[in-house]
Amino acid sequence: MPTPYLQMTGVRKRYGGVTALAGADFAAEAGTVHAVLGPNGSGKSTLLKVLTGVVEPDAGEVRLEGRPLRPRGPRDTLEAGISAVYQELSLVEDFTVVDNLVLGVEPRRWGLRDRAQARRIALPWLERFADAFGGRVPADERVLGLDPGERQVVEICKALVRDPRVLVLDEATASLRRRQVEVLFDVVEELREAGVLVLFITHRLAEIRAVCDRATIMRGGTDVTTVTVGELPEQELVELMVGEMAAVGAAPSTAREQVRLEVRDLSGPRVREASFQVRAGEIVGVGGLQGQGQGSLLATLFGAERRHSGTVLVDGREVRPRSPKQAVRSGLAYVPGNRGTQGLALGRPILENMALPSLARRALLGVGLSRRREVEAARSAAGRMATKYGSLDDPVATLSGGNQQKVVVGKWFATEPRVVLMDDPAKGIDVRAKAELFGVVRDLAASGVAVLVSSSDDRELVEVCDRVLVMFEGRVVDDVHGERLTEETLVAAAMRVTGTEVGS
Amino acid sequence: MSTVERPRAAEQGDNAPGRATGVLRRLARDPIVVSGVAALVLWGVAALVSPAFASWSQIVTLLVLASFLGVIAIGQTLVVIAGGEGIDLSVGATATLAAIVASRHMDGSNEGFVGAVALALGAAAVVGALNATGILVFRVPPLVMTLGMISVVYGFIRLYTGGRPAGSAAPALRSLVGGDTVAGIPGVLWLWLGLSVLVIWLLRRTSYGWRLYAVGGNPTTAYLSGVNPRLVKASAYVLSSLFAGVGGLLLLGYTQTVFLRLADPYMLPSVAATVVGGTALIGGIGGYLGTIIGAILLTVLDSFLRVLQVGGGGDAPRQIIYGLVLLVVLSAYGRQKRLRQ
Amino acid sequence: MSAPAPTAAPPPATRRVSRALLATRMPSAATAALLVVAVTASALMQHNFFTPYGLTSNFATILPVATIAVAQTIVVLAGGIDLSIGTIVTLSSVVAVQLMDGDPGRVPLALAAGLATGAACGLLNGLVVAVLRLQPIVATFASSYVFGGLALLVLPTPGGTVPAEITGGYRQVIALLLPVPAVLLLVLWLAWRLLRAHRIGQYLYAVGGNAGASYASAVPVARVRVFSYTAGGTVAALAGIALLANSGSGDPFIGNELTLGSIAALVIGGTRLSGGAGGAGGAILGAIVLTLIQNLVFFAGVPTNARELVNGAIIIVAIALAGLLTARGGTSDGGRGRS
Repeated sequence: MPTPYLQMTGVRKRYGGVTALAGADFAAEAGTVHAVLGPNGSGKSTLLKVLTGVVEPDAGEVRLEGRPLRPRGPRDTLEAGISAVYQELSLVEDFTVVDNLVLGVEPRRWGLRDRAQARRIALPWLERFADAFGGRVPADERVLGLDPGERQVVEICKALVRDPRVLVLDEATASLRRRQVEVLFDVVEELREAGVLVLFITHRLAEIRAVCDRATIMRGGTDVTTVTVGELPEQELVELMVGEMAAVGAAPSTAREQVRLEVRDLSGPRVREASFQVRAGEIVGVGGLQGQGQGSLLATLFGAERRHSGTVLVDGREVRPRSPKQAVRSGLAYVPGNRGTQGLALGRPILENMALPSLARRALLGVGLSRRREVEAARSAAGRMATKYGSLDDPVATLSGGNQQKVVVGKWFATEPRVVLMDDPAKGIDVRAKAELFGVVRDLAASGVAVLVSSSDDRELVEVCDRVLVMFEGRVVDDVHGERLTEETLVAAAMRVTGTEVGS
Repeated sequence: MSTVERPRAAEQGDNAPGRATGVLRRLARDPIVVSGVAALVLWGVAALVSPAFASWSQIVTLLVLASFLGVIAIGQTLVVIAGGEGIDLSVGATATLAAIVASRHMDGSNEGFVGAVALALGAAAVVGALNATGILVFRVPPLVMTLGMISVVYGFIRLYTGGRPAGSAAPALRSLVGGDTVAGIPGVLWLWLGLSVLVIWLLRRTSYGWRLYAVGGNPTTAYLSGVNPRLVKASAYVLSSLFAGVGGLLLLGYTQTVFLRLADPYMLPSVAATVVGGTALIGGIGGYLGTIIGAILLTVLDSFLRVLQVGGGGDAPRQIIYGLVLLVVLSAYGRQKRLRQ
Repeated sequence: MSAPAPTAAPPPATRRVSRALLATRMPSAATAALLVVAVTASALMQHNFFTPYGLTSNFATILPVATIAVAQTIVVLAGGIDLSIGTIVTLSSVVAVQLMDGDPGRVPLALAAGLATGAACGLLNGLVVAVLRLQPIVATFASSYVFGGLALLVLPTPGGTVPAEITGGYRQVIALLLPVPAVLLLVLWLAWRLLRAHRIGQYLYAVGGNAGASYASAVPVARVRVFSYTAGGTVAALAGIALLANSGSGDPFIGNELTLGSIAALVIGGTRLSGGAGGAGGAILGAIVLTLIQNLVFFAGVPTNARELVNGAIIIVAIALAGLLTARGGTSDGGRGRS
């Protein structure tokens, strides 16, 4: 058998006590799109970071075109022709898009930076992706003013400007809109034609089937198998990823008659005149194209974004939170869209993260804490969420993504919320953790809580929710329920195509 | 086939001796242990060079000296934990202010003692409130705000005293610091002990303490969990000034009369003691126990270098060695994260 | 999905533009406004402000302050801070003055030694911060003891003489109204623009703006940090030499106040203290504002005992003003380095 284009053998990496990679092997050919799949914590990101030189492996070997590659940092991999688009963005916010694209590879003239040449390098790619920027070419705009999807596209252009032979896309599509993904996939096709190896990490099955030729499945820090995508039914692909089938699955509604949350004409920074009701025990989804004000709606309800007008009633009583603190007092709970920057104090222990929203409830005179009582409360919340942890005193950062998200949700149990607002809670967590998470959401609802949950994944909404509110440009434009609640209707409603026009 | 096997891979200890070295390694990385050992070693060396160091009275004197820094650094620790680039460089000026106000109103007698103390601490609290306003309302970076506050406070002192501070410490204050002892230990050390227990309890076992760490660790998370981060931070700055004020009063009891810039030498050492004790300037990490050790370490170092009189007793060599030792102690652990993992 | 997918409406272009304008212009505008106020007030209160003598004496005091502010800016832009910068100024100036010993023939050697001292101090700081990875505030605080102590060793008490050629030349006026210190200030600014046009200038901003992103983009982060401290130290040495030229003798205690001033000046000039945004031009303006304010308080006839308070209060208000305007734009001058 000839030597593969890219070959990684016996790669090991430990962070403290956690094994991220336990002797993983990996091989891929030029001119293919190769997916790397697996649950969170399976080591797929770490494996690719070893390749790009960001992570230093404890052991193992990387060969590119048969030659050993021992990068001491991103500089070496850049020279080897490897570029990466990471999950956490690598852009300098204060820089313009062009300055970001050429960062680290600035063209020079007479020893100084050559700005004209920089533009000449950067513009073709920005123009190629113009559709992804809503038709414009934001060359001189600062990254600061771009939305998350656009930033991700800039990140992709940045990798492409480096003219890679190997392109790593690590969850690069997670925050992209449909149109942006389409442009990206067109470019990926072109790169494949040109003989570039594209390595692709994603949790979205549809994307794997759309562009990937081969897929390597990882679990527990090693590679399980490598398959040809076209030859395998989707079901088997999922099973390989999870180890067992763990789809969320539909369940009977637990909605009761009593209206728990009533919203009338709510307007905020990115919400316009939203009106709807959520009954006790009901799970209501918030869907639509990405960035239509779903997150803003939840944040406005929670008092984290300023409400311009409108009325919100919880159990018939008006609530008007001007801060999350007041919202918590009114019986609201909020799971923000980004667990790392909003949901958790990553460096603090699990115990403290769990206790934070409900500290005053257990404190003596609102001040004195008993460690025993705190531990009991945290343990019970963690148990309800089936959270896996070593010790409650470990920093929450040591947990895997799915378990971190369980802490973000679990910390609200002790406040006994009546309304739970969740902003894309399953983003970036693996299938099994997702199933467990939504299981808990169902339990919450069954206990009479009203749940309002947004998601970027329509399938998730269909499986979990009793009803889905579809948002467009800050307005609630549709209320999809009953027989109509299918992925197809949601997509159609999101794009404001009437339901009858899309047959399925 | 050239497999790269780095020594790090062999670190995983499953057998008993391996685990023991693991514990040792963790201890060796614990800032409190490192500074504690460094302080003991320094003290040991000092005792060898100058046997007087080992005497009980000398130890008490050292601890009394450390208590001034230790009390002033209480607030520094709170402010640094509260994060957001939190730092309070105005503690020295605030301590001086409290001492000057108190000394004028005590004027060497016990009569106005309580009033003078209240007035002094009130003045200190005003400084803290101003800091908090500048930092939280006008969003001035803490370093700059508290730096600027120094000149405002000293400017006020100059105006208030006309350049010549008046009065002296009340006898009660003097005896607290230098006089009567309870069980052979001066009152000021008992006070420091009491404050330490209070602060450590505050940080570890109160909702305020946990909120402070949460705000320092991630203010957005704290906010979205129903905490008011601005209120928490503001209270940290006010507390910082209050404890600086207490420190200033203790200093007054020690020096008995005041002078301009009395507590100036405590400004940056209070930060150093905090950091040496393992409280990271990024916020959300650390505690007061470490700061106590840090304050003792810096005081022992300073006294030792004074006793040694390197280079004929001039100030210069002492300064140089002080700086170098500080760098060595810090590099033992006070590291920032590597970019490459 | 074959249906035409309408993209979500991006925020209106006008809002984008106004936001971009806010972010770039506001702090510069704030600094400029402060400058205009300070200059106008100075011109009103100092009768000889616009005479060659007035300009020379003003610029003579401004130049050292501005140079230190620029030195600090280089460090701060890359995400660091140098609390030892005042002692670097002191150490390099006492080294230079001791070597000069009043002899014009030894001036080149002395200047070179002074600059080398500053560079070496900066290099030490840079290595400690970038290689040992100590927190910059405490690391440079510790090194300030070392440099301050060394300065005391070199020159235990104020003294030493600077050749009259230098002190005289420093107060020359070229072409009627152009004092030599002003020309030097211009040269300093031009040197900054040159650095800014170079890759390494861009890297200062990148590392200060987002070190992790820079590292992943193959920017040599550690080297950039070491460079920023070394360059800062070298420029600080220039400030030390300017101080010598202004005062005519050395002083081993001069440094500590300067560190605080340098930070105040750069913040007034719109540089973000956490790095990645701002520029040396702003720092120079900030230093001018700061110095003029101090002179104003003196000329306005404020009672001696109240002077320090008024001074401090004005500086705080100026910083708060700059900070308030900066915060609104999200960043200050930003990566464009307009100043």
